[in-house]
Formats: sequence, structure tokens, C-alpha cells
Amino acid sequence: MPKWGMVIDLEKCTGCQACTVACGMENSRLPGENWQDVVFFTEGEYPSVQVKWFPRPCMHCENPSCVHVCPTRATYKTEEGFVLVDWNKCIGCKYCMIACPYGVRFYTDEKPLNPPDPRKVFRSGDAHSWNPPWKAPQEDWKHGVGIQPRGVVSKCTFCYHRVSKAPKGVADLSEHDPRTRDYTPACVVACPPTARYFGDLDNPESEVSKLIANKRGVRLLDHLGNKPQVYYLAGEGGAVPSNRAIKNS
Amino acid sequence: MERMAQPRNLIEVAQYLLALWREEGTLRFLRIALDLGHRKSIAGRMWFWGLVVGLASLAFVSYMLITEGGAAFNTSSDGVNWGMAISTYVFFALTSSGLTFIASLPMVFGFREFYPIAKRCLWLAIITLGAGFSVLALELGHPFRMLWVMPANLQYLSPMFWMGVFYLIDLVLLLVKFDRLWHDDWDSPLSQALAVGSFVAVLLASGMLGLVFGSMVMRPMWYGSFTAVFFILTAALSGAAAIVLAVYFAYGFRQEAMPEPLRSMASGAALPKVFATLIGIALVSVVLRMWTGLWSNLDGLEGFHDMARSPAFHVELWLGLALPFALMLAPRTQRSARWQITASALVLLGLFIERYEFLIRGQVVPMFKGAWASGLTVYTPSATEWAMTVLGFAIVFAFYGLGEKLFDLSAVPPSERLAGAAPRPAVQP
Repeated sequence: MPKWGMVIDLEKCTGCQACTVACGMENSRLPGENWQDVVFFTEGEYPSVQVKWFPRPCMHCENPSCVHVCPTRATYKTEEGFVLVDWNKCIGCKYCMIACPYGVRFYTDEKPLNPPDPRKVFRSGDAHSWNPPWKAPQEDWKHGVGIQPRGVVSKCTFCYHRVSKAPKGVADLSEHDPRTRDYTPACVVACPPTARYFGDLDNPESEVSKLIANKRGVRLLDHLGNKPQVYYLAGEGGAVPSNRAIKNS
Repeated sequence: MERMAQPRNLIEVAQYLLALWREEGTLRFLRIALDLGHRKSIAGRMWFWGLVVGLASLAFVSYMLITEGGAAFNTSSDGVNWGMAISTYVFFALTSSGLTFIASLPMVFGFREFYPIAKRCLWLAIITLGAGFSVLALELGHPFRMLWVMPANLQYLSPMFWMGVFYLIDLVLLLVKFDRLWHDDWDSPLSQALAVGSFVAVLLASGMLGLVFGSMVMRPMWYGSFTAVFFILTAALSGAAAIVLAVYFAYGFRQEAMPEPLRSMASGAALPKVFATLIGIALVSVVLRMWTGLWSNLDGLEGFHDMARSPAFHVELWLGLALPFALMLAPRTQRSARWQITASALVLLGLFIERYEFLIRGQVVPMFKGAWASGLTVYTPSATEWAMTVLGFAIVFAFYGLGEKLFDLSAVPPSERLAGAAPRPAVQP
């Protein structure tokens, strides 16, 4: 049984947000509902201020607090390491959003990022929250895939609909390998500088395991104990915000 | 409505209402039902205006939820996830818990001087919990799904699951216990067991509500076991304030209008002592929490600085806690009806602000700085969220008036009646 994980090389990441766009297209996201976001932030003060960025998918934590707090088990963790939401069980209490240290969960019914509200422009005649003119064909509410109904929480699935169909025993899912390309998460496939790697964290021969070991992979807010399955390679030029300081420090 | 003075069960109430409808005709019956009697009374006015305001708020909230859904709230995934509806729920749930604590003084711990308010506390505990649940249900994405999906999946790791379990047990025990008192059963073994069970359940429920927040290590303003203790202690205060205000409300804010056991309790020494002690404990707890929050450098506690700058917090601290504390300590003011009413109203206002400040400031610090959150999140409740809060208060007002009329809320056990003057119905039909 693989334990899927991701490595993001911040030295290679250019902050182009192709991952955000690819995710939005693949998963039919609303504007602003960025399951895969790129967060820009500044370090230091003028005249030595620097603009930094880091991509932020769901961390699919080994020890996910969102799963523990969900009163209905709508949020759950699979044996392969996916943290998913069953939209048939979600009651929209938003406790998982409170408990997620990474801010990667989205409630469906909120004010639009910018007017007009796409949900009103492309109204749904059924249980879906909206009906965009183009949408990806896959739909699996039990695993939080597709366009969600109203009143539930949604999040990055690690492209469950692709990854779960991967051939058994593969160590890496790479866009460069024709045998695995279709099973690789959309954000990994779309990344122009190949800053993203996806594979089996339990397999020491996988590219992700080697990168984490050889390039000192770090995890976001690791002190909280959630143990993300997304690792960052900070190297010389990248930066992982070690805290959420809003003070100038 | 003389025959309704002491109905023994809901079937009797229904039978009486049916007979009254046949006797008076539909229009007169409706008028009597809206006024809760042939003549106007304080309880009738509370019922009427509670219904009017409650139905108007419900209509507005329903319209907004149908047309806008959750977008009618000013909450957002990037900032404040839980808004004013949740703080209103916490306020009502903890007030209900506090009322049950106060009712336990005579019924569990044997402080007999508090018997005259025991039944009233129980009724208020039921309706405040009902109001809290109603507001919460309107906030949830799928409130009805919760009814089957929670028991079917039993997520025992979730503090929210246990909060639901304990508050459900609390509500059931409150209803059964109130039914026993309705039948004048104050001290049978069953009634005593219910009182003890109810006290334990409400202790667990309010503590667990605290742990819903206190377990969140990623939200340092809430994190820690002190949050559960803080909730239990301040719940007791909100219960005390609610019962003082409710008693005065039912008797036109006059001690003279109260039946004897209540009057001597209101003008006696015990009430201000208990009240002042509870305010003092809450005041110390709020200040201690503020101190550690302002002093620490821990990331995420910047919300305390935000709170210190908030005018609402200062209203809570000085007007809602410090002033009532002084009023209930000073010999000249502590037994006066006017100052007791003022103190209890201010405490309730203060604690309403406390729940709001606790909830919102705990979320204003973004999880980490970045594109969508460069500083503290700004949140102001929307009109829909305000209307939900108004609805909660309207439910309490309406059903308090109804309870005042239907049930003899000033009733005491037979043994207490022999010892003191016989109680008379609180509000004459």
C-alpha cells in the first residue's frame, strides 16, 4: 500500500500559479476557491525586503487534526494517505476549517471573491452548488471529487480521481513518464519548471523519498504535530514561513 | 384562563385549548392565545412581542438563507470561519448550563433558600438551550443530516461530538426533571437522581464546549484546559445574571409584586453574595487570560492586542463585570432592586460581548502571513447574523412568557410551603 506524498522544490518554483489554474480546471473550482494556492509574502523591511512565495496544497497530514475534529467522520484518511471529505456526510459545521493549521479548506456558501457570483450566473438545477459551462467529467461525492453540493466543506484531494487509478507498485507518478502521466495530480503535470514531485513516501527508492533525504525536505508548521505529507525543499533561495507572524520581525 | 393555572400535562393543556377555541370562536381565541389570557399581563406581552420579533427575524433569516445561502454571513474561508451565530449559540448554551448550576444549589447541594428560583431556572435553562440550538441549526450547512450522521458514525475523538452528546443528555434530563416538578415531585428518589444526573451532564456539556475551542493547538488564543474551566465558571455567572433579571422581569421589576419566598430571597443577603462571588471569579478569569495573552510572544496571540484595542472589550470589562461587581459588594446597592436589575443586565451584556470577543479574536490572526492575509482579519456581523441573534433572544422572551403563564414557575416543594408563606401564582390571569 503506497503512502502518497508530494515534494515541492521552492528553488525551482517561479510562483507562476500554473498549478492553481490547472487545479481549478481539473477540479472545477470557483474563483478564489483555490484548493492549490500560491501564497506570496514578504520577508524583512525596506530596503532589504524580499518577496517570497510558496505553493500551498492540502498537506494530507499523517496525523490530520481535521479528521479528528469532524463530528460525523465526513473527513477521513484513507490507507493510501489521502485526506478526503465525504460530501454525503458533511454537515457544514466548519470545525475542520477551524482545526486545519494550513487554511486549505473551503466552505461552499460564501460571498464571492468578486461579483458577480458565478453560482448565480451559472445556476444549478439540481443538488450541485453551481453548473459551470465547462466542467471536468469526474464526480465522486464520497471522495470529495467534482462540483460539491451547497453547505459542505471542500479541499484538495491530491487528485484522488487520477492517483487512485495508478498502476500498483509504482514508486513515482511523474508527468515525464507516459505510463504514469494520466495518474499524476494536475498541479504536478502542469508545473512548468518541474518543481513538484509526487510518489510513495514509504518507498525508499521513490524520487520523493530521495529528495526529502538528500535535500533536507521540511514540513510546514511541523511543530504542531500534524506531520504533513507535503515536503518543501527550501535550498538556498526558497523559504517556508516557519510561523504565521504578522509582527514585523 | 383560570382553568389553565395548573395544567398537569400537555394533554390537559391541549384539551383546555380546544374547549376554549369552541367556546370563544376562532378570532377571540387567537386574541386570547396571543395575549395569553383574557386580560393583558407582563407574561402575555413577553409572549406576544417575542413571537412578533421572532417571526419577523425568522422570516428575514429564512429569506436570506434561501436566496443567498451561507453567503448571507460575513464569514470566510480565509479568515473568520465561525461568526456571530456561533458566539450567540455559545452564549445561550452556557447561560443554560449556568441556570442548571443555580437550580442545582437547592436540588443537589441542599441550599434550601434557593428553592424559590429552582423551577424557573429549569424552564429558562430549557428555553435558552432551545434558542441556542435554533441559532446553531440555522448556521449549519446541513442541520437535519446531523441528526442521523452523527449517531451513525460516532467520531469519539471529536470534542464537538461529545459536546453534542452531553448537551443532548442535558436537554433530555432538563425536560424530564421539569416534568417531575410540574407534577410536584421534588424529592422522590427519581427526582433526586435526575437532579444529580442533570448537574453532572451540564458540567460535562459546558466543559466540553470549552474543549471544542481548548483542544485547538493551532489556535493559541483558545488552546488549553483553562478554556474549559473558564467556560464553566463564566457559565455559572451568566446563569445567575439571567435568573435575577428573569425574576424581576416577570414581576414588573418590583420586589413588592413577588410572592413571599422570592421576595425575601431577592432582598436577602445570600443573593448578592453569590452574585458578587461569581462576578469576581469571572472578572479574575478574564483579566488572567488577557494578561498571559498580552505578555506572551507566542505567535498567534496578537489577537489579544486587538482585543485590548476593542471598545467592546472595555464595555465588557468595566461596565459588564467591574461595575456590577462593585454594585453587588457595596452594602448600599447590593440589596436594592434597581441595582440588582442593573447589575444582572450589565453582566449579561458583558458576557454576550465576552463570547463574541473570545470567538472572533481567536480567529483574526491568520494561520500564516501571505497573499490573502497580510494582517489581522476584519470581521463585522452581517444583517442576517444580527437577525439570528435577535431570533435567539426573541425565542427566550416568548417562551419565558409562555412558561410564566402555563407553569407555576415560583413553585417550591411542599415542605418549604409549610415553612414559609404559601406561594401564589406568579401572574394572575
